[in-house]
Amino acid sequence: MNLTLLSKYWRTVLIVAEMNIRQQMMDGFIIFTVFLQPILIALLGLWMLKDKGADAAMFVVVGSGLTGLWSSLLFISGGSINAERWSGTLESLVAIPIPFEVIVYGKNLGNVIQSLVSMVAGYFIASWLFGYNLVIQQPLLFIVSIIFTVIAFISFGLIIAPIFVMNPGVRAWQNAMEFPVYILCGFLFPVLLLPAWTNPISWLLPPYWAAVALHGTSTGGAPLTETLFAWGMMFVFSLVDLLIASRLFKIMLYKARVDATLGME
Amino acid sequence: MKTLTNNLRLFWQGALLSYVALFHWMRPIQYAASKILMPLAQMFFFVYLGTFATSADNRSYYIVGNALQIAAVSGIYGMTMSIGGDRDNGTLGYIFGTPANRLVVFMGRAFMNIMDGAFGVVIAFFWGVILMGLDLSNTDVGALALVIVITTISTCGLGLLMGCLALITVNVMFVNNFVYFLLLIFSGANVPLANLPVWIRSVSYMLPLTRGIMAARSLVGGASLSEVAPLLWGELAVGVVYFVLGYTLFKVFEVVAKRRGTLEVF
Repeated sequence: MNLTLLSKYWRTVLIVAEMNIRQQMMDGFIIFTVFLQPILIALLGLWMLKDKGADAAMFVVVGSGLTGLWSSLLFISGGSINAERWSGTLESLVAIPIPFEVIVYGKNLGNVIQSLVSMVAGYFIASWLFGYNLVIQQPLLFIVSIIFTVIAFISFGLIIAPIFVMNPGVRAWQNAMEFPVYILCGFLFPVLLLPAWTNPISWLLPPYWAAVALHGTSTGGAPLTETLFAWGMMFVFSLVDLLIASRLFKIMLYKARVDATLGME
Repeated sequence: MKTLTNNLRLFWQGALLSYVALFHWMRPIQYAASKILMPLAQMFFFVYLGTFATSADNRSYYIVGNALQIAAVSGIYGMTMSIGGDRDNGTLGYIFGTPANRLVVFMGRAFMNIMDGAFGVVIAFFWGVILMGLDLSNTDVGALALVIVITTISTCGLGLLMGCLALITVNVMFVNNFVYFLLLIFSGANVPLANLPVWIRSVSYMLPLTRGIMAARSLVGGASLSEVAPLLWGELAVGVVYFVLGYTLFKVFEVVAKRRGTLEVF
């Protein structure tokens, strides 16, 4: 996967994203993971942090949206290749002239965009149900942070999907990987509460930098340099993820063709 | 006497086989990931969130609440998969076709999940003590064990009801996940019931876990078994009501499915 491919096939990416969103609107598990779970987490967080005021409410809204992004990435993007396999469409997708990773990129884009809706829902819940007057302190920087977040999450998802396909044993850890990232990335509470030895692990996770940028710009609690640094980290991680994903997709498809196991579990 | 022996055998075989069927596809490492690490991570998350929301002094409040909440993993997901799995695997017709006592079959499905769920809660308390500094020095451990078992039983009661719903819906995981997360809010594991709106509080007392969590917190705070006994009876009563509802629904679905020929229609 590289940027040239994306610029060449951007129409395909958009169409796949659209089709993916339409198709997933009918799936109860996805609707729960993408929309309802983050909203329920937002409700829980808002009740728990009720005494901490509007800044904490904004923290919860953004944080719960991030939980939706991560869960969607883990469960839906992570299983995006297997989903095609179960539908019997994987062979056709691999055989078409458009590179397979472009298709998966489009699917991940659809997943991430869908997940962002839960952040908007959380915002309205906090405003209407809890009566908070929530204002995004640095709207322009927040929007740019969202764009960086989307790219970082999609790129990260491109690594997860082939790893899950090639290593079914790793997929078994899916359930256990959801909450640790919520914790390590500081989605709903600062990572400063965690033991110091966990901090380097947080720094290696792109969602951590997304949380830094989005929390910082939404509450206005971070200096510009910190936000810029978080953007830089997301950009670097995205490039690295795309490079790794490119290699992983080649290995996966080569292995599948050699072993003739493309459509098999 | 022969009927009793047959029913006991049916109960035990049903319990054992349904558990083996549920976990046969799992390797020990997968079991550890979904039954030990996932609940542990969830407990850590809510304990940190709770201490961030209030203070580190309230840590035990969140540890106890979330440790008990682990019962819902087996109680809701395990039970639903045990019951609903019969339809997915095409074995429901055979169950409805046997002369076996339905209640015994039903209870057999619940037994191993109760054991497994209680074991999960014990592990959660173990992590709470070892990793999060939960102090059980003033706790009547025997009474706490009783709370764990009763709370798991009542949660499995709700799970049986959910399992029956799994017989008539394709969105089983949607329903399960939704109920599981509602319990996180409504049970008082993370939000003191006094902080919730009145209507939610009313619902909370109709759900399993709520009284069990209250009893466990009291015990950890030094209360005796007799002091928490009313809560335990209440928790047990809630569980029995859900068991009865689940069983009744199971019988109704059996009759309706046979009459309409919709036994395995999704």
